[in-house]
Amino acid sequence: MPPPSKTSGKNLEAESILQAVVLADSFNERFRPITLDTPRCLLPLCNTPLIEYTLELLAVAGVQAVYLFCREHSETIKNYIKKSKWSRSYSPIKIITIVTPEARSVGDALRELDAKQLIDSDFILISGDVVSNIQLEKVLDAHRARKSVDSNAIMTMVVKEASPFHRTRSLGESPIFVLDTKTNECVHCESVELYPRKRRMTMDMEVFKKHADVQIRNDLIDCQIDICSVEVPALFTENFDYQDIRNDFVHGILTSDLLGKTIYCHLVKDVYAARVRNLHTYNAISKDVLSRWTYPIVPDSNLQEGDSYEFMRGHIYKEKDVSLSRSCSLGEKVLIGAGTEIAENVKITNSVIGRRVTIGPNVEIDGAYIWDDVKIKSNCSIFRSILANNVVLEENVIVKRGCLLSYDVVIGPNVTLEPYTKLTKHKKTSESDNEGEESNENKAYDSTLIGEHGQGYIWSDKVSDTDDDEFDTKNIQIAGLAHDISNISLTDSDSPPSVIYESSSDELSDSGESTTEEESLKEFFKEVSQTLERAFLDGHAVEIASLELNTLRMASNTTFHDLRVGVIPTILGQIDIENLLTSAEEILEQWGPLIGKLIHSRQDQIDTLYILQDHCAIKQHHAKLFAPTLKKLYLLDVLDEDAILEWNSSELADNDSSKSSIRKKVAPFVKWLEEAEVEDSDSDD
Amino acid sequence: MTGPRDLNAQIESLVNRLRRRQVVGSWCVSIETAMLLRQVVSATRWNQVETLIKVVKEDVGRRLVMAQPRELAVGNIVCRVLRLIREKIRTFSFYGGSGTGTNTQSSMINLLGDGSPMGAKRASPLIISELQEMINELENTYVNIIDQAMEHIHSNEIIMTVGKSRTVEMFLKTAAKKRKFSVLVAETFPTYLGHEMALSLSEAGIDTTVISDSAIFAVMSRVNKVIMGTHAVLANGGLISVSGAQMVATAAKHHSKPVVVCTGLYKLSPLYPYDEDSFNDLVAPDPVFSFNEGDLIDKVTLLNPYYDYVSPELVSLFITNTGGHPPSYLYRLINENYDPDDTDI
Repeated sequence: MPPPSKTSGKNLEAESILQAVVLADSFNERFRPITLDTPRCLLPLCNTPLIEYTLELLAVAGVQAVYLFCREHSETIKNYIKKSKWSRSYSPIKIITIVTPEARSVGDALRELDAKQLIDSDFILISGDVVSNIQLEKVLDAHRARKSVDSNAIMTMVVKEASPFHRTRSLGESPIFVLDTKTNECVHCESVELYPRKRRMTMDMEVFKKHADVQIRNDLIDCQIDICSVEVPALFTENFDYQDIRNDFVHGILTSDLLGKTIYCHLVKDVYAARVRNLHTYNAISKDVLSRWTYPIVPDSNLQEGDSYEFMRGHIYKEKDVSLSRSCSLGEKVLIGAGTEIAENVKITNSVIGRRVTIGPNVEIDGAYIWDDVKIKSNCSIFRSILANNVVLEENVIVKRGCLLSYDVVIGPNVTLEPYTKLTKHKKTSESDNEGEESNENKAYDSTLIGEHGQGYIWSDKVSDTDDDEFDTKNIQIAGLAHDISNISLTDSDSPPSVIYESSSDELSDSGESTTEEESLKEFFKEVSQTLERAFLDGHAVEIASLELNTLRMASNTTFHDLRVGVIPTILGQIDIENLLTSAEEILEQWGPLIGKLIHSRQDQIDTLYILQDHCAIKQHHAKLFAPTLKKLYLLDVLDEDAILEWNSSELADNDSSKSSIRKKVAPFVKWLEEAEVEDSDSDD
Repeated sequence: MTGPRDLNAQIESLVNRLRRRQVVGSWCVSIETAMLLRQVVSATRWNQVETLIKVVKEDVGRRLVMAQPRELAVGNIVCRVLRLIREKIRTFSFYGGSGTGTNTQSSMINLLGDGSPMGAKRASPLIISELQEMINELENTYVNIIDQAMEHIHSNEIIMTVGKSRTVEMFLKTAAKKRKFSVLVAETFPTYLGHEMALSLSEAGIDTTVISDSAIFAVMSRVNKVIMGTHAVLANGGLISVSGAQMVATAAKHHSKPVVVCTGLYKLSPLYPYDEDSFNDLVAPDPVFSFNEGDLIDKVTLLNPYYDYVSPELVSLFITNTGGHPPSYLYRLINENYDPDDTDI
């Protein structure tokens, strides 16, 4: 592009307002049963709805227009936004909510966006549950700088450096990124589930040709903040099967040769960025906020209006109007909302307590997230669990780790909840549909489990897809609330989770690989000949046969050379030896072009000649076929004279009598070619 | 003229920028606050002084202070504006009133407030021009401070400083124009502001040496005086200063070296510290301990205080834009600058 038009383009970009697309729906069910009542982006993290963190991040970056995509609970979100400070007349951000009830994935939302034609410049694509103090302006500038260097750059993904087993890195959901060391171009992106453990990763060899220096990184937190160019929604529309932004879109763009687009990563180191993907990260990010990694987005900067948090020594945050009894003890990392009353001998550590909570005497709370208006009566213990709004715990209830009590659940008295119990007031509709009997039974609450006054049903995570096996449920468990990293390492004791393991397995597979490769090649040849025989039998057109062969080649990851090695002998095998010349003529007339389809350059032609020569040299009964085949292929324009001459002039190994005898057979033909060429050049003169 | 909506947007914007730490540093904060209050005063329609005071104090001032309680300069400026309004009204009613000068001050205010909207109309522009004067004074704070440089820095002295303060930087540079002296800069972990300070000083041709924080005590015996800046000065003469300042001041006390603090009066706050943490701010622990050490950050508590509290016993002298004062004199400055009714915003 000439410089003047470039500068004018830049001016235009600067003038147009900065837009952001917020996905307020997560398109998964990680937070069930809580998300039955509230959308995920309104769940409180440290007593502030998650969306506030995201909007704050965008506001700091100077975003002027936000398109908020909602699916479930869209009315709740709309009302929330309407009442919030963001919709005041002098708010610098304009929020437009777009309800897409039929959208099933990120892809659908972006296709909707493309259909509405709302985006006119680079925009920020962010999910509504991101907590970050990153300076997006800098990322945007970096994105624009990259675009001016590489016009194919369409997206910049923000990733934060962490460590492979970092608590904030959602295990089993963080992809492995392969980056160009110099430019941070993302050349490969591989999703990794914890179960089944991935032991191998396949990458296109082209990557190593293009990039001299790549790094494979398994220590990055994918923050789900992307800077996208205008083309991105359009690409989603073109590829209507793209669902997930990482698994489908990024993977699709990177593997596609046709599009030629590039995607970059923006590594951030000393700022914070993470996404609440599941209960595990909810816990981790809450802790990060309380330990001030997200500064200045900390409770005492009072994101919401009317908040009045103050910081006290020992990472204790307290709002005004909290009444603490004289004998209660607050440990480290505790946040207490306004209007909460805490009685005698209460011990609280590592917890978030919402607003207007009453906690009775002798209660012990550790690592729990207690939301608004919860009532906890005397002698209860709560460990590493979530109690949603309006939960009531009667006397002597023990909630063990990993429990999730959804809205309005009542427990007790004198009950112990086993680890990882999930309770809700909603009955599971699908179950009651299937078994009418049970729904009647369920009307009464299970008092042995949740106590005499208890109200609530057990919620079991149903796996939505029928083909999900036990591995996936394991993955879901890890995403749960109180799963320690140490637990996870213990559970897969069969494979130590270290880098050393990876490298040793590589060494092993190196020796093993070659044999398997040979085997797979043999398998491939077999398939090629089978495909061709089907084609001969059914009389397929050359195009169809070549398409089939190409698919086969891609599926088994082999080269055109391998394909030719497979195809040529099979075609020659069709020729009837008894009736040599006419048969060869017929067969090659029909299938010669197929060989032509597999040839793309001079080098390929010479390679073909060698294959032909080697084949005819080894298979004695095909030796006679060589000359007519060559001639026919020449006539069909599959091979040109330059290639044949070059092949002929190349040296042969001395003692290879059979090959030299084959060459002799074509000597007259070659001679004729040479003469023809001389004549050609003569006439040119 | 700015409509009320614009004004609201401006207030909101400053509140947000304060909260988000987009405006930092006492000086920037004070200027922004003063400018905004000037707007507020000129846009507010009032007949009674109480209305104006209420708007400035409760509607705007309180919001700004609540937005960022760590920036004490916001509160200081609000207090000064209030003082200015009260004072102007007082003098106005004495000399501009109907000559009933024998009445007490408070009744004068009431008189003005009670009956005459004309009085308000005449007082308003006066207040605004006074405010403008205050802003000018703020902008010239440095000039008044650095004029005193020659009295405090002598030839061949060794001076220690900590952190990066614009006032100290200009103070030293002014002295360097005529005198030759050397400066030791403590590097001030974890912000390493000392590095920037040293770079700037050495560019001005001052003989500068960066020392690590652990060497402060060791070299203190060779130092003639410590000159440092501060984030805020509290009513008892204590400082809220960059973390590391407390160590420097204590070392200086041990070696009986004078600690001189350069500060504009706008940093003087009428608030008292009730404990050492009260005005401190804990920032992200990233510079102290990397977030990448994932397994460890779960098990340890990391604190990265941005400020230090330096108690008044450790400070020898304040050099302000009105001259040099010992810490024990600050109470008078506070009485001069702030009205006792306004200390609690």
